[in-house]
Parts: sequence; C-alpha cells; structure tokens
Amino acid sequence: MTVPWRAFEHPVTVGILAATLGVLLLAAAVIGVLSVTGRGTPAFRRELWLRLGSWAVLLPMIIIPILLGREWTIAAVTLLGLACLREYDRATGLFREYLLTAVVAIGILAANFAALDHWYHLFVALWPLTVGVISVATIPQDKPAGYIQRTALATSAYMLFGAGLAHLGFMANDPLARPLLLLLVLAVGLNDVAAFTTGKLFGKRKLLPATSPNKTIAGALGALICTTALVAFVGNRVFVGTPMENWFLLILFGALVSIAGQFGDLMLSSIKRDLAIKDMGTIIPGHGGVLDRFNSLLLVAPATFHLLHYVIGIGDGQPVRVITGP
Amino acid sequence: MTWQLKPARDLGLPAQERLRSHGREAGLGSVVVHGAWRALVRAHLALLHRYEVTGQENLPEPPFVMVANHSSHLDALCLGAALHGPAARHAHALAAGDTFFTSGATSLFAAYALNALPVWRKRTRAKELETLRTRLIEDELVYILFPEGTRSRDGSMGAFQPGLGAFVAGSAVPVVPCHLQGAFAAWPATRSWPRPGKLRLRIGAPLSFAETAQDRAGWVEVAARCEAEVRALGGKAA
Repeated sequence: MTVPWRAFEHPVTVGILAATLGVLLLAAAVIGVLSVTGRGTPAFRRELWLRLGSWAVLLPMIIIPILLGREWTIAAVTLLGLACLREYDRATGLFREYLLTAVVAIGILAANFAALDHWYHLFVALWPLTVGVISVATIPQDKPAGYIQRTALATSAYMLFGAGLAHLGFMANDPLARPLLLLLVLAVGLNDVAAFTTGKLFGKRKLLPATSPNKTIAGALGALICTTALVAFVGNRVFVGTPMENWFLLILFGALVSIAGQFGDLMLSSIKRDLAIKDMGTIIPGHGGVLDRFNSLLLVAPATFHLLHYVIGIGDGQPVRVITGP
Repeated sequence: MTWQLKPARDLGLPAQERLRSHGREAGLGSVVVHGAWRALVRAHLALLHRYEVTGQENLPEPPFVMVANHSSHLDALCLGAALHGPAARHAHALAAGDTFFTSGATSLFAAYALNALPVWRKRTRAKELETLRTRLIEDELVYILFPEGTRSRDGSMGAFQPGLGAFVAGSAVPVVPCHLQGAFAAWPATRSWPRPGKLRLRIGAPLSFAETAQDRAGWVEVAARCEAEVRALGGKAA
C-alpha cells in the first residue's frame, strides 16, 4: 500500500489531474450555457448532460485506482477485462460455451495475477499456454461442429481482454506508473475527441465507410497529429533522465498511442458491423457498453508496453515475484 | 464454412428490463449462481423433506415441458431439483410476474437463483407466448409450469388452464406430467416459511401433442389430457 501523499509526488500526475478536472468543469459550463440560452435541441442537451454525467462517474473509477497504487490498478484492470469479456461473449454468442468462457475468465485472472506478482516470465508464458488450453478445452466434449469458431472467439477474447489489457496492470509495477497510466488514459480519450473534432471541421473523404461511416481521413490524421504532440510533450516530462527522453522515441511513442487507439476503435467497429449491432452494452449511459468506451486501450496497452519495456525496462529494479517468491 | 454468430437474445436491454425479459439467456455467471442455488435446494430437500423422486427415467432430452399440481412455493424447487445435466442448466420455471418480478431484488433472485421467466397473469400477450414457444424449441429449454395458474389454497388440485397448449400443441416438444405429494403440508400458501415433512415427486411418461391443432380447441385438449395424467399420477401415489 502506498503512502497517500506519494500518489501526487510526480508533477505530471498533478498536472493531468488538474487538466482533467478543468476540462470537466469547462464542459459543464459550456453545456450549462447551452441549457440556459436554450441553444441546441432539448434531446441534444440531454445527451450532452448524460455523457458528462457518465464521465463524472467513470473518471474517478479510472483515476482513483491509479492513484491508490499498483494493487488497486491491477484489480481495476482485472475487472475491466472481465467486463469486456462479458460484453464480447454475449455479443458474439461465445457465452453459450460455458467451459470456454470459464477458461478465458481464468486466463484473464491468471494474466493479472502474474502482473500483481510482478513475474514477467510467467506473464509471457501464460499467453501461449492459455491459448493452448483454450484450443484443447472442448475436445473432450467430442463436438467438432463449431470447433474453429468457438476456439477462435475464445482465443481473440483472451488475447484482447486478458493478455493484451493486463499489460496496463503490469505497467503499474513501474515507479513511473501513475503519470504514465494517466497519460495513456488521457491520450486515448483525447485521440477520440481530436478525431471527432478535426473530422467535423475538415473531414470530407471517409476513412473506411463500410466499417465506420462517421470516421474521416482528416479525423484520423488530426487525431494522429494532436495525440502524438500531446503524448510526446507530456512524455518528455514523465521520462526525465531515462533513455525515453529522446524526441524521436517520444514521437514514436505518441504515434503508437494514436494509431493503436484508432485501430482499437476500428476493430470494435468491425466486430459490431459484423454482428449488426450498434453498441456492445448499455451499462454506461450515453456511451453504450464498457467496450464501446475502452476499445482504444485494448491495443494501446500491449503496443506501448513493449516499446517502453524495450527502451527503459518496465518495472526494472522493483521487487519481483512479490507473492510467489521466496 | 459458415460462421454462426448468434448474439444473446437479450443483448442491448437495460439491466432491469433484461431480468424480466423472456429473451434472457444465462451466461457463465448465471449458470454458476443457479448451480449453487440448486445444490442448496437439494441439500434442503434431502435434509428437511427426505425428498424422493420416482420415474426419473421418463425424462426425455430437452426440450420438454414439466407440468405438475401446484400448492406451494416448494413445487418449482422440487421439479427443478429432479433435473440433472443440460436439462437442469436449461430449465426455466415460469413464475408469476406480479410475485417474483415486482422489485429489483426479487427480480434478481428470480432470474439468477430460480432461473425463472415471468408470466403475467391475464396480461401475457400472444407475442410473448410466441417468444416462449420459439425459445423452447430453438434453445432446447425445459419449462417448469403449473397450469392451475396459482397455488391451491386447500391442497386439492384445480383445473388446468389452456395456456399450456400454446407451447406444445402442434410441436414435437413433449409434456412430462408430474405429481408432487406433501408440499401443501410442508409449505402452504398461508405459511411464511416451510416446515419439515416428506415430499414425493412422481414423474410420468412424456405426452406428445404433435398432432394437436394449434388453436383454442387444441389448447383445451392439451390441458385436459395433462390434467388427467397428473391426477392419475396423484391417484397412484396415494
């Protein structure tokens, strides 16, 4: 458990918290002005208030575990992974395969346990081993019909919501975890806003109209520029004194956040189009399901983790195997 | 190769609405909770009621409908406890909506522990009956149904309502008649909690209504035959 004031010792943590609070207050003020002056339709204003209300609940649920420390962060990532699995399995029909759903759920718990234990070798070993278990789990049922479909669905669920997302939790083992994780969460949020805004302002040509009819090439490029700039700028203050304090690497890091974030979004759009559904769930008013909100993080987590791990070594110098060790 | 991606029938419904939906499909969480509840019920029935089941060999593979006399809240628990394997996991008690689905807490209990689907007395629409019938066949379910419509207030069996016919008339889905003895003495409608007492369930041979017309006359015929079979099982038990 962390001493409370240490949560705020990094200036970037304080800066991101202040900026987030400022943006929320500004948004409330703007929507308030719209409401008082009667601009926009009542339905539009109601939608804006609904979205703001959801953010006002979601942001503390994201930020507080990060501030509380690695155990809380990993617990929150585990719950997020399980919530994503639930939405995905109900949307794709995988939920009817109780055994495979259980194997994937245990796989998610195991990947996050390895993160909690800070045991990188187990963390990495679990990916192929869990996929192996998924591949053989239903063979004893002697039911080859549908084998490829259910195994493929379960494998992709595990790789996205277990192995992939657990990288976020593993990052919590690093001394820079708080500013880094807050930066990633802020950046993927900004990535969506930047794509929407620049798309509205400059967008003419559709990006992938069959996959996501509202996205434009201008929006994608606008998001790439804005997010890369923000991540590189803030990252320069996060990674002071490390090999990541290098503009080429920082720009690469920022571009990776934006590109992986946008592909995460498009990946979920592809899933929803294939299933002919609008949202993955209804749990977050104004947003849809948990996956509709957190899709961008699914690919950002492993992509950024491995860049940072290669350059600075995530969690290096920190105690390892804190649970299973001697 | 064609992939068959079949989203949950209740996808997109808000939580409260989903609990009451006839399209509610159980996932891993529901199956685990329902399984734990069944184990508790079995232990309760064995310890306090020396529960005895005969005719279990008459149970076919799902889908099928179980019908029985109704005098106690123990009835649905007893019929559910007689099922095993996929039949137990896919069994839905059709429960009175105005008793079990009135508040969030009772709806949660009814949906997750009992795996019940609501039936609204005198308010169930034709479309809802059609949904229940379709699900019974397509999802290979088991419905536990008490065609008297309400618990007997004196322990004697009442007339079966014809609504049962809507599920099975003109289909290959069989009806399994059952008779439960001892439930009225153990937990009548006038008591808040059950008291110990012997319970005996007799499961009869399945009845087919594949040739019965799917109309009002057919429904009445289904109800009459099922009622006669349950009464006969009760007579044998006595």
